[in-house]
Amino acid sequence: MTIDAMTLTLFLPLFGAMAAFVFPRVATGIGLVTVVATCGAVWLLALEVLKAGAVVTPLGGWEAPLGIALRADGLSLAMLAMTSGVGLLVSLGALDALRDLRQRQYFWPLWLLLLTGMNGVYLGTDIFNLYVMIEVIALAAVGLTVLSGTKEALRAGLEYMYASILGALLFLMGVGFVYLHLGRLDFAGLLEAEPSGALSAALALMLVGLLLKTALFPLHFWLPAAHANATAPASALLSGLVVKAALYIFLRLTTYVPLPDEILVALIGALGAGAVLWGGVQALRAERLKLLVAWSTVVQIGLIFIAFARAGQVGLTESWKAAALLILAHGVAKAAMFLAAGRIKDEVGHDIIRDLDRAEVRPTLAQFTFALAAISIIGLPPSLGFIGKWSLMEGAMAAGYWHWVAITMIGTLLSVAYFSRVFAGFLRFDRVRGPVGEHQGWALADVAPLTLAIASISLGLMAAPILSFIELGYALGVTP
Amino acid sequence: MTDPFLILDLLLAGAVIALAVATLTVRDLFAAIVLFIVLGLLSALAWVRLSAPDVALAEAAIGTGVTGALLLKTLHHLRYVAGTLGEQTAHGVTPVTPVPMSVIWANAAFCGLITLGLAIAFLDAPLGGPGFDALVADAIPASGVDHGVTAVLLNFRSYDTLMEVVVLLAAVIAVWQIERGLSEAPSPDLSVIWQGFARLTLPAIVVVGTYLLWKGSEAPGGAFQGGAVLAAVGILLLLSRLYVPRPAHRALARWGFVLGTGVFAGVALLVTGGGRVTFEYPPEHAKTLILLIEGLVTVSIAVTLAALFHGREPVAVRAKEARHDA
Repeated sequence: MTIDAMTLTLFLPLFGAMAAFVFPRVATGIGLVTVVATCGAVWLLALEVLKAGAVVTPLGGWEAPLGIALRADGLSLAMLAMTSGVGLLVSLGALDALRDLRQRQYFWPLWLLLLTGMNGVYLGTDIFNLYVMIEVIALAAVGLTVLSGTKEALRAGLEYMYASILGALLFLMGVGFVYLHLGRLDFAGLLEAEPSGALSAALALMLVGLLLKTALFPLHFWLPAAHANATAPASALLSGLVVKAALYIFLRLTTYVPLPDEILVALIGALGAGAVLWGGVQALRAERLKLLVAWSTVVQIGLIFIAFARAGQVGLTESWKAAALLILAHGVAKAAMFLAAGRIKDEVGHDIIRDLDRAEVRPTLAQFTFALAAISIIGLPPSLGFIGKWSLMEGAMAAGYWHWVAITMIGTLLSVAYFSRVFAGFLRFDRVRGPVGEHQGWALADVAPLTLAIASISLGLMAAPILSFIELGYALGVTP
Repeated sequence: MTDPFLILDLLLAGAVIALAVATLTVRDLFAAIVLFIVLGLLSALAWVRLSAPDVALAEAAIGTGVTGALLLKTLHHLRYVAGTLGEQTAHGVTPVTPVPMSVIWANAAFCGLITLGLAIAFLDAPLGGPGFDALVADAIPASGVDHGVTAVLLNFRSYDTLMEVVVLLAAVIAVWQIERGLSEAPSPDLSVIWQGFARLTLPAIVVVGTYLLWKGSEAPGGAFQGGAVLAAVGILLLLSRLYVPRPAHRALARWGFVLGTGVFAGVALLVTGGGRVTFEYPPEHAKTLILLIEGLVTVSIAVTLAALFHGREPVAVRAKEARHDA
């Protein structure tokens, strides 16, 4: 029995999830071991991709149109690495954050199923298979949303599920029509397809479904409540990783079948601009820290779509790289930020921004972590977020689309403004009436978010290798 | 002379659309559910007319049977007066905040766009596209089974099917982890007649479910359909209180849920080696392996669907429920 690394990345978390569910008492141990092992499998796969460019496994030995092939290239590897790396640190953070026995039992099976689904998306080359994978992700993600058990979380989780199922159904209808037209479901079939109005309509259905799942303005309505009311590790996974799966499929589909019209590209950019402005204003108005962070996710998703549209239709062959950089940057930084926000809420006892400066304990290291993550999300050098934003603006300027530069700048200013509300709460010590309580300012639980935050900044220094890595095996126009 | 089947088809199509409209517009929730069940049955007939008996069986067993039971169970919970759902629900008044007109119009515009997309995609569609038919016909001798749909589901594209079973597993884990507090609507009081009905029908359902599974390798049927029919056994047992879930059964139930997924994924991995990749069954054992997978997946689907009908992780029986039993 010899199993390749690609199969391992898929099956390790699946078996881990089953084991963690069947043996709830040792779920934590099983979960941690599984996530570490999955990181190892991704590492092995990365070595293969570095050597060979792109790796393909036809499952069951059946070639693509009839069977399903798994394929790993630079972009999918970057997404896999982000998922398992961030996932590992969030798992470590979850050790402390989950206090309740029920939460500890159920977090691991759900999170490992989520990991299975996301790895499946990043390795998938078949649009029906992608539909099944986003269903796995959706159910596990809804489970994680309601894990905190509060009434608000249940309500938000229900809304999330409705949005998610509607998105998946739209995607599935599109898949059905693509099959009707092409008679096949694999990416290669899409690449070879003659462009036609009907095929574009089918793809449009799929893309709208994905936009709903990735929460692009104005289809973001479900996101803030769902991400703000989950427990901290779940929020980190949902905001940092889950929305990226639909985004990734969007990137792939639009690269294989380019959008037929310049106006559509501009429309997607305009929706992104709407997200940046509307999300920014809502983040300024948010009363709770986690809600602010959730709205900042809406903003960042918008920004990723602006990066996608930055240079119009002709620029799409390059723009996906800017979008991919922003996806990676946001994944790492937002996970750090949600974990840090959770730590602050745990220590202070609430997360009302207005009252943060009246707190009697100061979780200094968690606050520092939050600020570091904010640096990457605002986009200050040398963070990965900066590199992403820079390549967005560079492409827009080269194409002469100054309006995207302007929107990005406005978004950056807005993000400075809303994060400053939080920093002000961290820094003002004079409001406390009584003596500040005994608190050492840090705890072992801060290590995981801090590592993530430092990574979100230092990865910016490695932008060049990351950029050349995501291009591996990803030649446009060549059958994948 | 007009083809009598054409008249049937037209009637069927008209009835399905009319029932869908009625389901959406009727105010009473119970009536809506009943209409939905009828809609499902007629859709199953429509699938038969479209020469898709596998889909028809799935629609009848899962889309109509199990879904209808789940909807009715939910309605029973919603209508249960008192409990911890809050005063308003307790008095049968669901607090409804009026939806702003702007949201309604935005939704309408969104739906309009979707319908437009569907219309364009449909009107331009070729009648009877290329599809997998030729490929399946070529590959079926090597698949180990004789029925095309089963060959696709459990051999050519078994990866998809595995992940569909995983979706069901994720659903039951998500449902089990929801903490509902202690209030639970008591099961409806079922009379002696019902008990007799259950005793009469249970063996028949078991036979039908197993037959569907067994037939799957050469004719329409298979794990999902058979599992859904067998789940009806569980639902009847739960309703008639012949079986009451207890906390001590949780470990067994967990094994039941993961059994299908575990064996399916395990077989997929164990067949690798000697030049074979994951999911590549050796041709001489393909039929055995497929039957093994289907059988165990059926058990898991049945247990999972029944557990979803029960709707929660079994908790310790409290005094009130115990009294209700007596």
